[in-house]
Amino acid sequence: MSTLSPDQWQAVSPYLDQALALPEEERPAWLASLREQNPALAGHLQTLLEEHRALSEERFLEQSPLPLPAEPGLAGQTIGAYTLVSLLGQGGMGSVWLAERSDGRFQRQAAVKFLSIALAGGGGAERFKREGSILGRLAHPHIAELVDAGVTPAGQPYLVLEHVEGEHIDRFCDQRRLDVEARVRLFLDVLAAVAHAHANLIVHRDIKPSNVLVRNDGQVKLLDFGIAKLLEGEGQAGAATLLTREGGGALTPEYAAPEQITGGAVTTATDVYSLGVLLYQLLTGQHPAGSGPHSTADLVKAIVDTEPLRVSDVAASKTADAESATTNAASRATTPDKLCRSLRGDLDTIVAKALKKNPQERYASVTALADDLGRYLRHEPIAARPDTLGYRAAKFVRRNRTAVTLAALAFLATVAGLVGTITQARTARAQRDFAFRQLSRAEAINDLNSFLLSDAAPSGKPFTVDDLLTRAEHIVERQPGEDTSRVELLIAIGRQYTVQDEYAKARRLLEEAYRLSRALPERSTRAVASCALAQTLSRVGETGRAEALFQEGIDTLSGGPLLAVDRVFCLERGSEIARNRGDAKNAIARAQAAQRLLQQSPFKSELLELDTLIALAGSYSFAGQQREASAAFEAAAARLTSLGRDDTQRAGTVFNNWGVALILAGQPLQAERVLRRAIAIGRDRQSEETVSPMLLVNYARVLHDLGRFDEASDYAERGYAKAQTAGDEAPMDQALLLRASIYRSQGDLDRAARMLSEVEPRLRRTLPDGHIAFGSLALQQALNAQAAGDLPAALDLSNQAVTIGEASVKAGRQGAAYLPIFLVRRSDIERQVHRTDEAAADAARAVSLLQAAAQPGTSSSNLGRAYLALGRALQAESKLDEARAGFRSAAEQLQSTLGPDHPDSRSARQFAAEVSTRQ
Amino acid sequence: MGSTISSLIGAAERGDGSAAEALFAALYSELHRVAKRELARQGVPVSLGATTLLHEAYLDMAARDGPSFPDRARFMGYAARVMRGLIIDHARNRRAQKRGGKFEITSLGTEAGENVADDRELTRISEALDELAKVDASLAEVVDLKFFCGFSFAEIAAMRAISERTVQRRWEKARIYLHRSIRAQLSS
Repeated sequence: MSTLSPDQWQAVSPYLDQALALPEEERPAWLASLREQNPALAGHLQTLLEEHRALSEERFLEQSPLPLPAEPGLAGQTIGAYTLVSLLGQGGMGSVWLAERSDGRFQRQAAVKFLSIALAGGGGAERFKREGSILGRLAHPHIAELVDAGVTPAGQPYLVLEHVEGEHIDRFCDQRRLDVEARVRLFLDVLAAVAHAHANLIVHRDIKPSNVLVRNDGQVKLLDFGIAKLLEGEGQAGAATLLTREGGGALTPEYAAPEQITGGAVTTATDVYSLGVLLYQLLTGQHPAGSGPHSTADLVKAIVDTEPLRVSDVAASKTADAESATTNAASRATTPDKLCRSLRGDLDTIVAKALKKNPQERYASVTALADDLGRYLRHEPIAARPDTLGYRAAKFVRRNRTAVTLAALAFLATVAGLVGTITQARTARAQRDFAFRQLSRAEAINDLNSFLLSDAAPSGKPFTVDDLLTRAEHIVERQPGEDTSRVELLIAIGRQYTVQDEYAKARRLLEEAYRLSRALPERSTRAVASCALAQTLSRVGETGRAEALFQEGIDTLSGGPLLAVDRVFCLERGSEIARNRGDAKNAIARAQAAQRLLQQSPFKSELLELDTLIALAGSYSFAGQQREASAAFEAAAARLTSLGRDDTQRAGTVFNNWGVALILAGQPLQAERVLRRAIAIGRDRQSEETVSPMLLVNYARVLHDLGRFDEASDYAERGYAKAQTAGDEAPMDQALLLRASIYRSQGDLDRAARMLSEVEPRLRRTLPDGHIAFGSLALQQALNAQAAGDLPAALDLSNQAVTIGEASVKAGRQGAAYLPIFLVRRSDIERQVHRTDEAAADAARAVSLLQAAAQPGTSSSNLGRAYLALGRALQAESKLDEARAGFRSAAEQLQSTLGPDHPDSRSARQFAAEVSTRQ
Repeated sequence: MGSTISSLIGAAERGDGSAAEALFAALYSELHRVAKRELARQGVPVSLGATTLLHEAYLDMAARDGPSFPDRARFMGYAARVMRGLIIDHARNRRAQKRGGKFEITSLGTEAGENVADDRELTRISEALDELAKVDASLAEVVDLKFFCGFSFAEIAAMRAISERTVQRRWEKARIYLHRSIRAQLSS
């Protein structure tokens, strides 16, 4: 036995290559055929191959020359809550161990991945853990869960991951010889996972077959989400990291997108590209850069410069050798020709669009890519293809033969030249245009959302909606052109700011949108811009201009059924604007008009219907029509639950408005429950308390009503502070009025007076004369005077309140809910100055007003207080029987609406008892 | 230090033998230094993977030298060769001392190693590798990277921009050669 000489080696080397490439069972046959040509060589090779078998059995060179650590051995070591069991392997970033829970609690095993990175000193460990916890929020059946991220006491960062046993997706598909359709379906699972991550603002950045495993049961699991970013955060920065990554070994740029190589921004479109490469490989067995191994330099050039071949052309083996084409086709359970045919057309287009060099030209989102693949599977026209008539027809035929026959007949009929058909055709086109407009609006906003999901979100910090909106603004600013989509984007962002109660920012954007929209031909956009701005203006107190803009908007839309959705939008805003101006009649009318339009429209939108319902309920409540209001709120709440949206922002709004309606209807106990729920919804959604200020003030109001003064004070002050920060005028006014009441109830008349003097100029500045708020103001001043003992002033002021209330009711504005309350208070003062006739008259009037408005069978604290006032007035007039009846009614009403322990309930009971014993 | 290594690599590649030797010496001491530092950092002398060590050393030198420092792939080719020497020295050290000595370089890339090769075996492998390197350098490199440094087939494939199957084939061929070579050594 001797060493092989260099010459001998050169001779056998290529044959060894061949032999080793064959599976073992085929080698004898191969040797036999070689023996016929060159027996000596064959003999030599046989010996070598036998030696190879022997050394494999010996496991020659398979053990590391280095020992495992003596102690503490990693196996058995505890990492966090897990105990390491055995080594799974060495990954690109470090070693991976199988682990199980130390307390034996769960059966599931985990994989602990040690990352061979050095954490930057200081906050490095903290940041790492925080990043890890952000990634850990991803929960999806197709994403391998990140259980924990931590740092060992020794400073070694690690990740605890769900242990996935599966094959790389490309191998999985090849092994099972999945055909094109099956591969696409599997790929859709991958897309679902990535889309979910994007929705959670996490970009994967490193999608490749070894990160996409498929279990035996066919379930897809994506690994290492966002870990590339986690690694990049420590130490090196920039695109250079991509090609020379930590953890040993150069990273191949095989799956890198052009912008990753050239150092551009990494966005969701980057993931789309990587997914495109993956799809390319699943469909063709080749990399877009061509067949054969590639050097890094070749790959870089191919990715950045060269357009890849169409997948159908690859399948038809236009360039690659015939053998691999056949193998590839066989792995897809077909022949090269058939494969080419099934890939040609839509799949060509889809893959090409995903692989566009320019991120802007790709699918804007993973969902868009998934949608087109779904359409491909259902033989529907895909979005990425221009709509030529012939193409569409071909698709349609495949889908539904019968319908086509009928349509063909109809078409033939119309060709006969009936007048009606021309109108029909025009309507059809207009319908399509309308649909496209709606869709493009939605798409524009989807694009925006996708843009937002770039990895520029500050790592480790929970970003707020505000951060997103700010960067959205910057994105829109950078976009050229002043066309419709820009305006629509500005409106979308502005409206979102409005929803967030950020009125200053909203106004800035919406004013800009409005200004730009004046030059646009689309009526829809102009009207929406007007009404969106109008809504914001009405909230910051510019009610005059708001109303004018609303009128302008609604006028722009006159005529034509296709603008119904936009009309509904405007009418809803108009309803709110009317409410803010104190115009109850129009508030209801506009909301009802919106509802009718929706019912008649062929385009159904449950959400829009819900919004209209909410607007209508609010308007009814505003107008004092409690019965209708309650019915509408109940319906809205039920609709929310059936839509599965009862923990969303909208739900918060519904419950807030409902709470207010209940307050006005004199049901504070129920109102407290509903408002508490509204607050809980606001609190749950975000890490900080970002409940709307108005809601806080409303809650304060009901707490005050229930006699919980300290709590009420706390909420009122918080609501005020919040409103002040947001520049939200209405809650500030309400808060001031309420705080006046609270201070008075607590006996602090000075503060109470100060609140009122603060709020008065604000109201004068923003509200029209005769607005009911002035009535409330006057009443509060009256109550202050009463508490201070200045009865003449109190009487005078209460007269003012009633006058304003009556005028408001007469003008069809908001007064109906307030007038009874003003009357009751005046009655109280009148009684104190011994004007008992007037006291009784006022109280009786209040009672009858409230009874008319109330839902039959329901109680009202307002009615209870009215009865109480009536009872006391009658008692002062010595009409004791009627007085007692009044007190009993009062007690009944107050107990059920305020609770039996409320001071007012107790007063009512006491008075009733007193009058009885007197007799 | 970094620029020295860059220029040494350049010179070595142009065939300068003394530059190659100087290069290996420099890399050796660098790896040694980094290993000691990493272990000191970790406090308890636990473990340090060969790949981690190489990675750290690369980061260090690249950071010092900046963009002109050769890329990782080239670096690894030389560093892996040096690693071989480091490991053999270490094995020698270990045999000379009863316990683990000042530091342990451990491998995290294989199954439980009861029969760890001692330094004499490793030296034999090393000499055979040197022979193989003269005949087919690419095969020797795979052995350095896989056996001594613990890189996986996938990582080596990425480093050298070849397919994993090619790496595997080279590995098998190298094993055949080395096995034959060592048996010849032993029988002579």
